Amino acid sequence: MSVTLERPVAAQPEEPPHRMGPVERLTSTDHKNVGILYCVTAFGFFLVGGALAGLMRVELAEPARQVVSTQAYNTMFTIHGTVMIFLFVAPFGIGLANYLIPLQIGAPDMAFPRLNLTSYWFFAGAGLLILLSGVASAGGGAAMGWYAYTPLSELRYSPGVGVDLWILGIVLVAISNVMGGVNILATVFLMRAPGMTMWRLPIFTWNMVVTAILGLVAFPPAVAAFALLFIDRRLGGHAFDPLGGGDPALYQHLFWFLGHPEVYILILPFFGIITEVIPVFSRKPLFGYLGLVLATMAIGALSMGVWAHHMFTTGVVSNPFFSAMSLLIAVPTGVKFFAWTGTMWKGKISFTVPMLFALGFLLNFLIGGVTGVMLASAPIDFHMNDSYFVVAHFHYTIMGGSVFAIFAGIYFWFPKMTGAMLRERLGRVVAVLLFVGFNLTFWPQFVLGLRGFPRRYVSYPPNIGFDTPNLVSTIGYAVMFSAMVVFLADVAVSLRRRVPAGDDPWGGNSLEWVTSSPPPEHNFDALPPIRSERPAFDLRHPELAP
Amino acid sequence: MTRALRSGRRATPAGLALLGTACSASFGMPRGATEQGADIFRLWQIFFIAAIPVAGVVYGLIFWSVIRYRRRRSEDPDALGSQFRGNHRLELVYMGIPILIVIGLFAASATVEVRVDRVSADPDVVVNVEAYRWGWRFTYPGRGVTIVSPPSGEFVAGPQMVLPIGQTTRIVLTANDVIHAFWVPDFLYKHDAIPGRTFVFDLTPTRAGTFYGECAEFCGLNHAYMTFSVRVVQPTEFTLWLAQMRAGQAAA
Repeated sequence: MSVTLERPVAAQPEEPPHRMGPVERLTSTDHKNVGILYCVTAFGFFLVGGALAGLMRVELAEPARQVVSTQAYNTMFTIHGTVMIFLFVAPFGIGLANYLIPLQIGAPDMAFPRLNLTSYWFFAGAGLLILLSGVASAGGGAAMGWYAYTPLSELRYSPGVGVDLWILGIVLVAISNVMGGVNILATVFLMRAPGMTMWRLPIFTWNMVVTAILGLVAFPPAVAAFALLFIDRRLGGHAFDPLGGGDPALYQHLFWFLGHPEVYILILPFFGIITEVIPVFSRKPLFGYLGLVLATMAIGALSMGVWAHHMFTTGVVSNPFFSAMSLLIAVPTGVKFFAWTGTMWKGKISFTVPMLFALGFLLNFLIGGVTGVMLASAPIDFHMNDSYFVVAHFHYTIMGGSVFAIFAGIYFWFPKMTGAMLRERLGRVVAVLLFVGFNLTFWPQFVLGLRGFPRRYVSYPPNIGFDTPNLVSTIGYAVMFSAMVVFLADVAVSLRRRVPAGDDPWGGNSLEWVTSSPPPEHNFDALPPIRSERPAFDLRHPELAP
Repeated sequence: MTRALRSGRRATPAGLALLGTACSASFGMPRGATEQGADIFRLWQIFFIAAIPVAGVVYGLIFWSVIRYRRRRSEDPDALGSQFRGNHRLELVYMGIPILIVIGLFAASATVEVRVDRVSADPDVVVNVEAYRWGWRFTYPGRGVTIVSPPSGEFVAGPQMVLPIGQTTRIVLTANDVIHAFWVPDFLYKHDAIPGRTFVFDLTPTRAGTFYGECAEFCGLNHAYMTFSVRVVQPTEFTLWLAQMRAGQAAA
């Protein structure tokens, strides 16, 4: 039974929120605390991965090898990829889910609060192990690339303990993801407030449901692959060792059966953020809610059947089948683009910082999507595979897409999490610098790939067309770096000299905007009636409520 | 009316010229110095040209909505947009058109793949390519010629494979330690070399010249230095080269 909530007449002066001590911070099972722990830790890993990218860009600015040793370079791209995928983008999504899902469905906490904190600690520990794997062994750390292809990752070719630490770290990440996924599904299926039917779930929550299912299906086979790899290395196995009758291609199948759904684990939560932000700042309901949810489900289902498009040049898979599946996945993704555009159509669009990042997302991600369609064609991939074209493509989806959405989400929900606004003007500077820097960094990488520059090269011969694009790309990195400096300054200033946010600074749609900022420990004193996917809007505009 | 017609008439040849340019443009891709590569190049053109209107429509809609439907400074910040929630017919259209586009792209892609994968039963030349950390061994079986990488951890001129123009060469690809990949960017083609397996593909060079080649699958420390080259020459010159190499290697 829902209780009607009176809207506060005027914004009351904000009380400074309860300050948690470090021990309470690290041990509280409150979903909001766990969510913030996840997001802050993940963002820390983003800075680590970004610093590694900077070293690589400096090395590549000129043709010859100048700055780092070849071994160090190989370690850097291994750790950069692992950190960005498994320790930043995916856990940031889980962090936001932890924070937002109970608020969006009108629940007091996640279904299993202790499991929630445990999954955070598995993730944090895994992160430590993975960083250690990069530095811990004599003669260089884990340097086999983030997909750790066999036989290169076998003991014979990677004798250091770095690979073992890396395997352990990834397995912990997988366990943490499975725990997080179970928790998200249990929470959404069992703890929705009265009136919050599945077809009234906010899209962010819907996307996290599909993401959680993907994780539950895709991680276990990967754990099997990593366990077999460990047995090969330390316990005399031959699963992937051709000299002992094993099969390196089997590893690739198991790995990409995780690896491809994983890229949708890296994007669906952020499609969700964009789908929350655009309706709010267009002052409109979402265009085609049902179609959008079905499109997300279709993406989830198809993403299970496209893994071998990473293996077009191996000669061991049926290319046309995986090519067709990969092309098809463009269709539901297109549905999303039209839904977002349809939502802006005839709206009253205001260009707040979250909306600017959302627009950056749309512009970048479209390029990621279009180039993805090109790569889905096996013959085109015969040229592009393992080239910088692929590097540019996935950075356009994950950096230009997911990371832009992460910043949209940070600027959108930071006021809810802290009770203080981020600075609008600084935020605009961050958005513009990041957009310019991003495109300057990654657009030249398409050119590099077309011209034949392979990924994972520490240096390249001069005067065969690789020099200029590499230099421009490094300059682009410097611009993105400055964007991050401004962003961190924005956070520091906004936390120190607080501009109170009030409950609902944006005119939000979902339930998190009807409680205080930050919300009380039990989240809600009372809930408004839930009659659509935007109960907070219905509360403000009862005349338009269904 | 007449003005519209006249500008329409002027626009048509301009549009055709633009289309003609698009169809001959390379969009940054090398044109493919083999028959197989030329097929892949044409496929790339099809994909790129198909992408232009798609991206144009989506970007156009985004920019139009953002500019046309922005909230003016004079408007109330809480003013609402139109509250419609969807349009089923429109949704079916924007689901249906992309399906048709990807069916077309798939047909083009699958056709080209069949041609690129075709292996001649009776090739003019056979070259065994063996990849190892970190170099290449090119053997011309039955002709007594082998070319091997000099050891390197720097950029040096790698081993050079010589092929006759206009003739079909069968490459027999193996690896004897980890996975490598044989890539000649100007041929728009690469294939992985996986230890324990043997792969066969054909190359039919159509242009003389020296082409840069490299390992494309990360294979450990000196991966970046595992380069080679392919020199394509006239068949008579190729025969001469084989004879010289054979004599030199027999003497050694």
